[in-house]
Amino acid sequence: MDSEIQRQGSRNGYHGDQQSLRSRQVSSRVSNQNYPQFNWSSTPAEDDVEGSSEMPRDLRSSPLHMALKRAVRQVQQMQVPVVSSRESWKRNKAKSLRKLKDNTREFLYLFALWSKSLQKIGGNFGGGVQSFFLFLRFLVVLNFVSFLLIAGFVLIPSIVFRSVGTGLVNSTGPEECMEYDPNPQGLVLFYNYFLDLLSGTGFMEYSYMFYGYYNNTMVDDTNFSYNIPLAYLFTAVFYFAFCLIFIIARMGTAARVAVATGGSAVGNYSMIVFTSWDYGCLGDRATKLKQKNIHYRLQVDLEEEMIKKRAASLTTNQKVVLYALRVFMCLVAFGLIIGAFYGIFLATEFSQEKSGKEGILGLIFEYLPSIVITAGNFLVPLMCDQIALIERYAPSTTVIVALLRAVFLRLVSLGVLLFTLWRQITCDGNTESAECKLCEYNYNFYPCWETRVGQEMYKLTLFDLLINIAVLVLVEFPRRMVVDNWSNKLAQWVGRQEFVVSSNVLGLVYGQTVVWTGALFCPLLPLINTVKFIILFYCKRITLFNNCRPALKTFRSTTSTFFFLVVLLFGWSLATVVMVYSLAEIRPSMGCGPFRFFPNMWSIVPRSFSSLSETTEEFLFFIGSQAFSIPLFVLFCVVMCYFIALASVYGKSVALLRAQLKLEGRDKQFLVKQIEKLSRQLQIPQHTAGAGQ
Amino acid sequence: MGTTASQLGKDLLSEYQELTFLTKQEILLAHKRFTELLTKDEKDLPNTRVSMERVLTLPELKSNPFRKRICYVFSTSEQKDGSLTFEDFLDLLSAFSDSATLEIKSHYAFRIFDFDDDGTLDCGDLEKLVNCLTGETDETRLTTEEMRQLINNILEESDIDKDGTVNLSEFQHVISRSPDFVSSFKIVL
Repeated sequence: MDSEIQRQGSRNGYHGDQQSLRSRQVSSRVSNQNYPQFNWSSTPAEDDVEGSSEMPRDLRSSPLHMALKRAVRQVQQMQVPVVSSRESWKRNKAKSLRKLKDNTREFLYLFALWSKSLQKIGGNFGGGVQSFFLFLRFLVVLNFVSFLLIAGFVLIPSIVFRSVGTGLVNSTGPEECMEYDPNPQGLVLFYNYFLDLLSGTGFMEYSYMFYGYYNNTMVDDTNFSYNIPLAYLFTAVFYFAFCLIFIIARMGTAARVAVATGGSAVGNYSMIVFTSWDYGCLGDRATKLKQKNIHYRLQVDLEEEMIKKRAASLTTNQKVVLYALRVFMCLVAFGLIIGAFYGIFLATEFSQEKSGKEGILGLIFEYLPSIVITAGNFLVPLMCDQIALIERYAPSTTVIVALLRAVFLRLVSLGVLLFTLWRQITCDGNTESAECKLCEYNYNFYPCWETRVGQEMYKLTLFDLLINIAVLVLVEFPRRMVVDNWSNKLAQWVGRQEFVVSSNVLGLVYGQTVVWTGALFCPLLPLINTVKFIILFYCKRITLFNNCRPALKTFRSTTSTFFFLVVLLFGWSLATVVMVYSLAEIRPSMGCGPFRFFPNMWSIVPRSFSSLSETTEEFLFFIGSQAFSIPLFVLFCVVMCYFIALASVYGKSVALLRAQLKLEGRDKQFLVKQIEKLSRQLQIPQHTAGAGQ
Repeated sequence: MGTTASQLGKDLLSEYQELTFLTKQEILLAHKRFTELLTKDEKDLPNTRVSMERVLTLPELKSNPFRKRICYVFSTSEQKDGSLTFEDFLDLLSAFSDSATLEIKSHYAFRIFDFDDDGTLDCGDLEKLVNCLTGETDETRLTTEEMRQLINNILEESDIDKDGTVNLSEFQHVISRSPDFVSSFKIVL
């Protein structure tokens, strides 16, 4: 009975020709396969001639039901393979390693933050929104780990060695440059504490929070030495490198898939139909929503296809008009963005001039750059959306163009703020001008300029959080209450709010870029940012579940994660430019901080190296010299060429295999037609014979 | 073989851990949820089979448009009625688990989408699949014209040997290009 069923299976099953003997003997309980139903249990168990250390994994990934798998396993266990002791030792090691990996994975799941929340969000609002929250969780972890790094190497040694330790460099500078007294004078009113908390001045200025409090000391015991300025510098550099590695590791899987699918792109439709259902959807409402979502996507894609066909059939005249319109609109959008930058520039200059004012007015002046940036980031994308309506791109292109404009706006507005600050600190880069001549920086306004930059970043971070909470309380909740309780045409048209993933992600990237820029000058900023992002998580979750209706147009999950990380890298590179410039070019303040009396912050490194042994010094100089870096660069080029060649070879072999598959399909059809023809020829004589009788 | 009483033996537990992608906690949780589906007398019998209607009361499956197909695919019953034993249930959870490989997920996805069980996805299967995805109500269905265009596009993109149907390898080829599939083909209790 069994062999007959297997033979039937081999006739209509495409896998039939590869049945292993083992599965044939073992499939005792093959369910009654009615021809033409496909015989799935004839798929072979994995080849276990080699490595039965792979046995359990192969059994797990073979699509048989439990009873079959158990029987296969029993047979495999009964077979005692004749192996050398080294083989069996290797297999045992592999097995225990796999068990260890499984156990660690189970253990780590315990520590996954907020996993139940994320599951609920994904089930009800889809993968796109869930990827935003996953990104937020990733940033929380990143900030917390970097805070631990900074605490371990800079904060705790500073606290411990505060009273001990000798000054590193015993030179002095001009008297005016060394004047720095951040402690508040005279009687301090109570509400000043609150104002100081918001702007980082007063009691907060001369504390571990900001650069100015750290000392230029080195502890040198008999068998222990700790150089605090060097530690500060290296920790800052390592913090950036660490964040980069973390982000790139995270991009790893997504990037691998994205690169592997390069070459001939499989179209949208099969992908949508075969892979878009989310089996984690819970509940009728979420299911109906997902169905509406998929329906919308399919309709949009089909419509876009028709639009493309129509666009291809435009006359040349119409095409010229359309392109001219697009170029013009692009220039208008660009002009708007430049206008926003100019506004930020003016606001920063004004704010710096008016700094030092007291009271609420002073607070407003302090926060002016943040206010202008936030207003610009809100208004300009709105106007760009209107512009996009005129440009009439295809829908998917519109989304990408809008996102790129918003990213450009956010990050470069931060850059403009920093540029304005730099101009004021270094007197427009002109160290010979009257104010900067003495100390190479503007010591009148900025006796301790690093602390001032740190304060600016602190204010931006805090303001971002306050705005988010204010929008939540003052805009989103009232909107929901108005829409729910007021059945008016206007209210229905406005509708409940949609959770827009892209603008929220840009907000996160902006916040993280601010923290990166400020970390050198405000070492506690990563900790503040961790707390800020945790608060933000809960706020966004509350608003999601209470105020938002799910979006019809959703983001694709994994490609969007990759996109978020790419945008984060843009922010990282902006912060790196700022850090490199501050380390190398601007003279550190003489009145405060661990780098006073050095010509620039980086110069502590060569100075400390001179205390190392001769050979280490020579080795390090050699690594930095051209004799080493040029051959290294050439080697990298060679390795990269090799990988590019390898990738193109793989791409070509994929194309060849696809062509081969096509040919085999045609061969099969030809053979089937031949069989039909032959069987018809054989049957016709029977018919005539039968009819004759 | 099979579950007796309401406790899983240690040997059985480790056997299940080796034969499925589930962790120990997941297997125990699955056992708890499965025994909740049983009536009082059934709880003492080994290897009980639960009817499809009762399985579909699980909240994770209740509103899934492919719920009936999932039960049919994982069921080992002779009558092909979609009823599941505990081991079938574990097979189901293993294929839908976090750590299952892409191959096994795509294999089972193909079987779920193969509505007529003939080993390939032809136009009828694809049409039923699209209707499940967009919902069966009149306002969410695609028009005939759109459906025709969609199925033509799907076959053009994924039918490599041009035989008018999508077989398992062509299906797996499409799936391997999708970065979202593994994370969306997941049911976690």
